[in-house]
Amino acid sequence: MDYFRAVYVARELSPRALRLTTEALLRNPGNYTIWHFRRLVIDALDSDLVEETLFVDNLAEANSKNYQIWHHKRWLAEKLGPEAANDDHDFTRFILCHDAKNYHAWSHRQWVLQKLGGWDKELDFCHQLLEEDIFNNSAWNQRFFVITRSPLLGGLSAMWDSEVDYTIKAILQNPSNESPWRYLQGLYKGNPDSLITDERIPQLLLNILKENSYCVFAWNFLLDVLCKGLRPNKEIEEAVKGFTELDDAGSSDQDLPTRICSALERMDPIRVNYWAWRKSNLTL
Amino acid sequence: MEGPEPSEFAKERHAAFAEMMLHELPRDYASQEINRVTLAYFAVSSLSLLRSLHRVDKDQIATWVLSFQAKPKETHNVDDGKFFGFCGSRSCQFSEGPGQSVSNLASTYSALAILKVIGYDFQNFDSSIILESMRSLQMPDGSFMPIDSGAETDLRFVYCAAAISSILNDWSGMDREKAKDYIIKCQSYDGGFGLIPGSESHGGATYCAVAALFLMGFIQNDYNNSLSLPTSTIDIPSLVEWCIQRQGADGGFQGRANKDSDTCYAFWVGSVLKMLGLYHLVNKSALRTFLFTCQSPYGGFTKFPYEVLPDLYHSYYGFAALSLLEEKELGNLSVELGLAALN
Repeated sequence: MDYFRAVYVARELSPRALRLTTEALLRNPGNYTIWHFRRLVIDALDSDLVEETLFVDNLAEANSKNYQIWHHKRWLAEKLGPEAANDDHDFTRFILCHDAKNYHAWSHRQWVLQKLGGWDKELDFCHQLLEEDIFNNSAWNQRFFVITRSPLLGGLSAMWDSEVDYTIKAILQNPSNESPWRYLQGLYKGNPDSLITDERIPQLLLNILKENSYCVFAWNFLLDVLCKGLRPNKEIEEAVKGFTELDDAGSSDQDLPTRICSALERMDPIRVNYWAWRKSNLTL
Repeated sequence: MEGPEPSEFAKERHAAFAEMMLHELPRDYASQEINRVTLAYFAVSSLSLLRSLHRVDKDQIATWVLSFQAKPKETHNVDDGKFFGFCGSRSCQFSEGPGQSVSNLASTYSALAILKVIGYDFQNFDSSIILESMRSLQMPDGSFMPIDSGAETDLRFVYCAAAISSILNDWSGMDREKAKDYIIKCQSYDGGFGLIPGSESHGGATYCAVAALFLMGFIQNDYNNSLSLPTSTIDIPSLVEWCIQRQGADGGFQGRANKDSDTCYAFWVGSVLKMLGLYHLVNKSALRTFLFTCQSPYGGFTKFPYEVLPDLYHSYYGFAALSLLEEKELGNLSVELGLAALN
């Protein structure tokens, strides 16, 4: 550290200084001052950026949650330009193979996509990760990122219909998986009217509740769409009343949302206070 | 599992752990040396929550913290974009003289937090250079860099800037409207907040977003009464549901959907609900049970249940989470500032 201090204070931008920063960073990869100084030296010496990429990628592998290392990668990517985008995506793909939810890797990947491109295979990448683990919320988030921001896909409105189908399939695969339920909600956020008119929604909910009458996410989603104005068809009414008939006395004249909240209080005891609160807010 | 968890809060052991950490950090913390001041903040604020600040010499701590303050040269021009706050470690201080330190926003927050916790009198503290130079760290999109030489910008540093302004009781160091605009962009499709726009919802990021808005005066803690309040700033009903959904069957809180419960999120996510006036929606008994499975026999808390070795970060947030639960041995918390209130 003292050798580093000396070259830093003297502002010596030499090969020796570069080697010193290498030594210092291997011991202390979190020191942002050393990283900053290294960048000054690299610029002054016009160092080989591909070699530098190898250096930082090695460090990143061993320290995949270190902000300074990822920032340095970003700095390099910016200098190398769009040609480096694919290499960079290969690297984050490698990190995500070992840790599919690494927040830094995902942030970096999103930054590279937006700054340098490489969108064409991204939706496939999300799909592949979801095939490996349908519960991977990071992959669901990335999917949303791609369909809303990719310049190649036409935006949410263009992708919306097929994404609803995709999500419904994922929900049916495992109705107790929170991620696709939230994703589905997200798809309808920009289009709230279609949430209450799209027949796929009541169909999905009925399909699930027939097989699994204790699916909390399905009841939750039904509660939300009813609150947003869904006119329940006969089947929905019967499903709710049939399930909640086993409830305490006094429920026969209650509206559907109230019945569902009461049912959720029983089914989802961790959130009993929340469902009671939702129930008390229904009349507002 | 063998038998019930000891459900007694081992206050003495925790205080001893925190005190030991303040005096000397074990070798495993070497990679975090750059954040020494932040580690000290965890230790000092822990001791305050444990009503054990009498164990330490507050004057000595104040002197130590103040020695990390970066001072500009006399010829310094405030427009040169350099930030003069606090450094996190001696390894960012390059000589005795002024103008040779590299300070950062996170350490500045930690340093000021320590001073606040020990009851330092800010009356004679000249905060002008901190606040003036902090403006250079705010980006056109409202986010903040942590250091002037360039780094990632994200919600953590928006929060730090807001907390610094609040502690110093002076908002001249940041543009609050722009910061709010950036925060709003960070709310994800599922109601939680990511660290940057487009990022996955995360408990820590959500805390930074809501606490910053709270400190800046853009939201208040009275959402208890209705979900149908105008959502002029952020989508509150989705945010509430996102937070509530983080509490798992094991009673603990997770940081992201489909991840394991981890001690610290009981604070990060619990605090968001507290700031909205909705902490009563948490299943407190289940949470308490979970937290006690993370209480280490060596004092402190672990990240996950039934682990043995504690770490300072999870210990601090374990204490903070229990303070939110009004554990009787613990003092009060200033939730939005993330530090022990004067106890």
